[in-house]
Amino acid sequence: MSFTIQKTSPATVVVRIGKALDFRNAADFKASCQEHTRAGVRHFVLDFTGTGILDSTGLGVIFSLYRQLTPIGGQVVFASVSRPVQVVVQLTRTYKVFRQFPTVEAAFENLERSSAGRPTGTA
Amino acid sequence: MHNHSILIVEDNQTLRRLLEYRIGKLYNVRTAEHGEAALKLVDEGIPDLIISDIMMPRMDGFALLAVLRKNASTATIPFIFLTAKTDDPSRAKGFDTGVDDYITKPFDIDYVLARVEQIIKRSCAYQTKLSARIGRDFSDRLMPKTMPEVDGYRALFFSQPREDGGGDLFDWAQAGDGSYLFTLGDIMGKGLQAKFYAFSFLSYIRSTIHAMLGNMSSPAALMSHVNRMLIQDKVLEETFASLLLMRWEPDKHRITYVNAGHCRPILIGPGGAGIVEYSDLILGLDASTEFTDKTFTIPPSHALMCYTDGLNEQVALNGEQFGEVGVALSASEALAAEQPVKTMLETMLSRSAEAMFADDVLVFWLQRNA
Repeated sequence: MSFTIQKTSPATVVVRIGKALDFRNAADFKASCQEHTRAGVRHFVLDFTGTGILDSTGLGVIFSLYRQLTPIGGQVVFASVSRPVQVVVQLTRTYKVFRQFPTVEAAFENLERSSAGRPTGTA
Repeated sequence: MHNHSILIVEDNQTLRRLLEYRIGKLYNVRTAEHGEAALKLVDEGIPDLIISDIMMPRMDGFALLAVLRKNASTATIPFIFLTAKTDDPSRAKGFDTGVDDYITKPFDIDYVLARVEQIIKRSCAYQTKLSARIGRDFSDRLMPKTMPEVDGYRALFFSQPREDGGGDLFDWAQAGDGSYLFTLGDIMGKGLQAKFYAFSFLSYIRSTIHAMLGNMSSPAALMSHVNRMLIQDKVLEETFASLLLMRWEPDKHRITYVNAGHCRPILIGPGGAGIVEYSDLILGLDASTEFTDKTFTIPPSHALMCYTDGLNEQVALNGEQFGEVGVALSASEALAAEQPVKTMLETMLSRSAEAMFADDVLVFWLQRNA
């Protein structure tokens, strides 16, 4: 389990993915994210700094998160995308769905600005 | 062993605590004071093994075992009686009801632990074997037994599923107008679950293709159907798949394809290899995804190669994945070979960090003669 989750505002968390998100830790990732969405988190910034492996199981749990959050106005965005992750994102054409930011700070600011004035935490 | 869960059912509090303490060092333990409480806990989560007393208030051990054995989802939970009833009729009754072991009090805790370990090991081994068998069966059914035979072309197919691999799929069908439709994809996820989803998914695609065989000019229209099905279907909920649909008209040497986030095909010629670039979003994410048909022709002496991510994600000697470029390079070197797919895979393995492929391997190779 290499990822860590940090709550940065009531509606937003930053997940530092770490070295790998793959079939070994995907279930843990899913469970942790679900705990946060149950607690009212709507936006996830996935920080891919230094991530070497994102396999199809890992990508699958990110997709599940997206499918779960989109209907309730939530967002999943990518930050600091490493080269191996960029290759997967290009192949699957998912850059059409997940916005990318150069840094976690830029992603966080954008999310906070776009959700300002909107009530968060309730669907 | 820590991941296995054990349910201890015992009305004597001191004994229950002792068992919880000793067995809890090695396993996840839950406890109940009688059969009724135990059934509630089993409802919340099926344990890997139950150790139960026989004489208890509310519901005794025999009644608990009988209820569990009647229900299909709990019938096979390994069950040990731990009891003061040393009489032969009770022992006989215990074994009659299908108990795995019968330990009498006073007992040696190390003996109990040894039995628990043995029974769990055996049941795990059985499960692994069964999963592997079902997985192989799914894999076999996901792959075709024959390939199209068309003058002027060679159509080759190779598949090497791994037991712990994912849900690769490949299929082909011939339409009335002499064209062919190829389906090649990968269901995200690993193991038996991915294989099962791939199997259900392919059945759906097969029937959709069948219904559309009369009018198959647009693979993109078919792809939109499949995408909507993946998103709306309750059984396939949270299933994501990359999929390549290709219509091949051999007389015109033309391919019309739509690619939903799958590994991009490679067109190999005597002068080198090129990537068939255009592709759309992967399936299962967004119901409103638009898919676009693209067309190209296969020139003489060229081969079209389609594959799944076991190839590009294979790790090369330099510690990095082969990637599209690495796969394309090995493919172009194999173009003139007698058995191009075999040659390409051998070339890749000779440049791999490991002696075998780490994931499922699936290759479809369509070569036009000179």
